[in-house]
Amino acid sequence: MNLSFGLYLILNTVAVLLVAPLFVSIIKKVKARAQGRSGQSVFQIYFTLAKLLKKETVYSSHSSWVMRLTPYVSIAAMLVAALFVPLVFVPEPVGGIGNIILLLYLLALARFFMALAGLDAGSPFGGMGSSREMSISAIIEPTTIIVFAALVFVFKSLNVFDMFAASAAAGAPSTPTLILLAISLFIILVVETSRIPVDNPETHLELTMIHEGMILEQSGKNLALMELSAAVKLTLLMALLLNLIVPFGLTTTLAIGTIAVAAVLFVLKVTVLAGIIGLFESSMAKMRFFRLPSLFAMAFFFSTLIIIIEVFA
Amino acid sequence: MNADESTGKHLVHELLGPGPLAEQVTEGCNGEWYVRVSGTEFLPLVTAFASRECALIGLFCTERFSPGAPFSLLYVFEKKGVLLVIVLDTAQSAPSIARLLPSACWPERECRDGFGIAFEGLFDERRLLLHETYPDDYYSLKKSVANVPPLMKPSVDPSEEYPFRSVQGDGVYQIPVGPVHAGIIEPGHFRFSVIGEKIFNLEVRMFYKHRGIEKLAERRLPEDVVRIAESVSGDESVVNTVAFCIAAEKIAGTHVPERAWALRTIFMELERIGSHLGDQAGMLVDVAFPLGASQFAVIREEVFRINALLTGSRFLRGMVVPGGISRDIRTEDLEALAQFVRQVRKRYRTGLKIVLSTASVIDRFSPTGVVRRSILRPLNITGPTSRASGGNGDVRVDHPYGIYSRHPPSVRTLHDGDVLSRFTVRASEILDSLDLIERLLTTLPEGTVKEAYDAKDGYTLSLVESARGQNLCWVWIRDGVVERYKVRTASYCNWLAIEHAVQGEIVPDFPLINKSLNLSYAGTDL
Repeated sequence: MNLSFGLYLILNTVAVLLVAPLFVSIIKKVKARAQGRSGQSVFQIYFTLAKLLKKETVYSSHSSWVMRLTPYVSIAAMLVAALFVPLVFVPEPVGGIGNIILLLYLLALARFFMALAGLDAGSPFGGMGSSREMSISAIIEPTTIIVFAALVFVFKSLNVFDMFAASAAAGAPSTPTLILLAISLFIILVVETSRIPVDNPETHLELTMIHEGMILEQSGKNLALMELSAAVKLTLLMALLLNLIVPFGLTTTLAIGTIAVAAVLFVLKVTVLAGIIGLFESSMAKMRFFRLPSLFAMAFFFSTLIIIIEVFA
Repeated sequence: MNADESTGKHLVHELLGPGPLAEQVTEGCNGEWYVRVSGTEFLPLVTAFASRECALIGLFCTERFSPGAPFSLLYVFEKKGVLLVIVLDTAQSAPSIARLLPSACWPERECRDGFGIAFEGLFDERRLLLHETYPDDYYSLKKSVANVPPLMKPSVDPSEEYPFRSVQGDGVYQIPVGPVHAGIIEPGHFRFSVIGEKIFNLEVRMFYKHRGIEKLAERRLPEDVVRIAESVSGDESVVNTVAFCIAAEKIAGTHVPERAWALRTIFMELERIGSHLGDQAGMLVDVAFPLGASQFAVIREEVFRINALLTGSRFLRGMVVPGGISRDIRTEDLEALAQFVRQVRKRYRTGLKIVLSTASVIDRFSPTGVVRRSILRPLNITGPTSRASGGNGDVRVDHPYGIYSRHPPSVRTLHDGDVLSRFTVRASEILDSLDLIERLLTTLPEGTVKEAYDAKDGYTLSLVESARGQNLCWVWIRDGVVERYKVRTASYCNWLAIEHAVQGEIVPDFPLINKSLNLSYAGTDL
């Protein structure tokens, strides 16, 4: 392991932890504006997380070690997964880091524990959330694999670092098929981060919850960790989409100047994407639960098309 | 048309058939008819009514109403705009008619819990009004019982716990929801039996906050009961008070000035607009379309502010009193209202256009939560819920009160009975109400707004159309004070519609269906 990779490990993790909550807030702010409200400050989420970290953690008397372990598994899995998706600086890959299949299953690991924790507390809403999350993931997982497979076909590599390096070198979407792929990646982003039209992150109605249902029984610092994991997941999926489709600014050289420029550009790009997500969410209602597969089918269709193009073109 | 036809007397005679009963029928102060029947006459008569498509819209008990009988049960039947009250005197028990007329089920259980009357053949014998923690032999509505919270049982034997209907089978499980909910919602328990996400059965349990409202009104001056009527249900404050005042005024023969009626009607329609806007915003929040919801939520807030400007109360409280309204409204405030109505109509239409042109919203609204037309009469489902399912009842048209006979609203009927129909019916009603307010403002008569009210003894029934549907109120004044004040809001009947509307739907659609029916907990738990 060389020095630049060591630096990357530290800087990327710190950066992700710092900016992830901000991006969640930006989406909220855009939605509030679309509704004619002024919305809370984008920095409010940091105070909320700090407050939760200080508060007492309450466990249901029915809960087991699963409930206690899940927040740590979740944040750990997300932070490791975040290492697979460089935000601004792409080093040479070391070991298995950057492997896109491993990335997928790190996300699945966190999801699996979250679903277990939803069942663990014994509340009916947690159980319903877990059951819905698992139904959705059973349908979305093959789609995600096909989308990732399409990426692999386009870049001829299984490693996210190689993909990013290739698109950074090209400076623009290297092939038009990537534009199609962006649609699939956007759908996966929406599904994986439990946003409208799949789930409603702002609802108070337990009977309709998916992601929120599973973390309903979490409190105090555990809740803060779960919220933070969700924010990190959102950031890493946004970074994956942005650094493949609009890679400008992304750098492969370790120099303070280029990294600073890349960082500013990255925050700008994510802000724009967060705005798009916010407007996208505002423009439609949540889908009927059993209609969701049709949304996934769209992602599936586009990525299958790309594979066909890449194989036969 | 002869005199009998205009008062509905011929229909009453037709219903009662040839015989002594038709001779005994008397007319009440508000155009309703009373007939006292004996225990032997009762069941055959009710059976005949049930087969002749009469709706049982009210059933309640009162004490020492007839000489020599400790209790009297009053059964209010409606058919074609005629109201007939059957009075059945009893010492202790009465036959149950819930099998013939399902809308009798809750009231019979209420009379049993509140007065200790035994109904023979009651198919659902579970507690209703007073839950199992109340002491045995405690009857909260009896005159001899003080209207204070009783000493509750510290614990309940498992055998006495409320048995919910359970659906058996592979993979069927129950989801208990409430009575404590997320968000600011009143208490109610919902017990779902589901397979996966599909709802097979839902049972609603209410009455978690029995407030003793009816008893609170007893032995008070009618002028003071107004405050109690206002607190029956927050966003039905005006209409419930109007119902009470109509009864008190009809008994006393008070003539309410024209200007007072015009202003009362404006208040009632403002209240309807506020309530409907809240429902529409809520329905859109529940399908996660806050962009649409905010259009209506903003207008609703503005309606409350104009209410406050006109009356000093966002819920228009303190205005309606027996004899008229408590004080006149300033001309400049009325002009502000006229201007508000003009500008709000345009913005409301824009909001509607946004919502109804969003495919994802329509997809959630239709065909979700269908209330079938066949349950409307048996359960006495009224209001927008009924009109969205093919019903054409509206108290303002069927039993016009105040100046509605001169300004009858158009009855907006749709036939699909789903959430979309209920949303659309409310939209039409909001626009109609805005039109009516505008019309009333341009033709507002001058003059006083209050006639001296002098309480007289007597009893009568009054019906009003609240935003939620038909509200019934029966007032008996004796020795100048209220002897019995019975309120039955539309929600009391409409709650049962939800048990039917959710069958076969999926659990995540329940909050939307619930919101589209807009049921009041407070209006049920009196």
